[in-house]
Amino acid sequence: MLESPSRSDGDLLRLLSGGDEGAFVEFYRKHQGMVYRFALQMSGKTEIAEEVTQDVFVVAMNSGKRYDSERGSVAAFLYGIARNFVLRALERERPYLTVLDDPAGEFEGRAVADQDIFSDLAQHERIETLRKAVLALPPAYREVVVLCDLHERDYAEAASALGCAIGTVRSRLHRARALLAEKMRAGERCAV
Amino acid sequence: MNENDRELLEGLQALAGVGPREAPAHIEDRLRARFRKEKRRRNLFNWAPPLIAAACMAGIALLLGMRSEAPQPVAVPSAVVARVTAPAVDEDSDESFYPLPEAEALPAMENAMVVRVQLPVSSLQLMGVPVSEERADASVQADLLLGQDGLARAVRLAQ
Repeated sequence: MLESPSRSDGDLLRLLSGGDEGAFVEFYRKHQGMVYRFALQMSGKTEIAEEVTQDVFVVAMNSGKRYDSERGSVAAFLYGIARNFVLRALERERPYLTVLDDPAGEFEGRAVADQDIFSDLAQHERIETLRKAVLALPPAYREVVVLCDLHERDYAEAASALGCAIGTVRSRLHRARALLAEKMRAGERCAV
Repeated sequence: MNENDRELLEGLQALAGVGPREAPAHIEDRLRARFRKEKRRRNLFNWAPPLIAAACMAGIALLLGMRSEAPQPVAVPSAVVARVTAPAVDEDSDESFYPLPEAEALPAMENAMVVRVQLPVSSLQLMGVPVSEERADASVQADLLLGQDGLARAVRLAQ
């Protein structure tokens, strides 16, 4: 089968809104990883990440026409939708949520290599501690850390996704990193 | 940037590199099924108004036909589509009727009736009638060919 040349996000959204399933699949495959990882890093729960990913693309299939390229990138558009669904899910599950588990072992694997097992274990432990520290941040701080530090989005794109000013993103990120550093230092003191 | 900040940023970089990169495959399957369902629903939604209008008009026309042999203009509820005039041969009409895509599944026609309606051009496109893209937002007069059951079998442009 011949591969069609890759189409722009705007074209794909227009086509999928008109019922083109091929365009929808192409759009989904292009962006699903980003949306799923964002939801997982924000919630720490695979069930929430799966549910949010599905909901985000249902919105895209029904309301893709609403996307306005002048207001930001498609990524920012999708992050914005994902963020609303994640916050709603976290609010709903708050009484039951434990952010410190990793039931599916989602975050295991690449951190442990085979060179120096002790050094790698220590590194793995540090990453795990940091992951828990990120999940324990208040959502307003967590989302800027996930977008800017884990997804390497610039301040403008993060601001577009979160619907706030660039200055707000910058100040929240600064505060979030300070909180993370504090948590990490507290963790090290406990370990000693 | 002090040593602690650097360590934290390195840690965040490392954290960004761990964990799954893709959503589980079953989500795509579910979404594709959902997409097809939505598409069917949308198609039905697009088809419903002209078909309901045609059925209503046919019912009214049959009722009036039983009361009087002379053809009369048919009144249509305002909620339905638009104006209906008595079917008549029109010199402006394109002579050929275009069969509607779903008409094949309907029973064979024993009696036929032509009703003139005013439809949005976009709905004609959905019926497979070739119309100019530039006029997609306009409305157009068309003749619907209705069978004995009141369901539309074919359409032709009157303008």
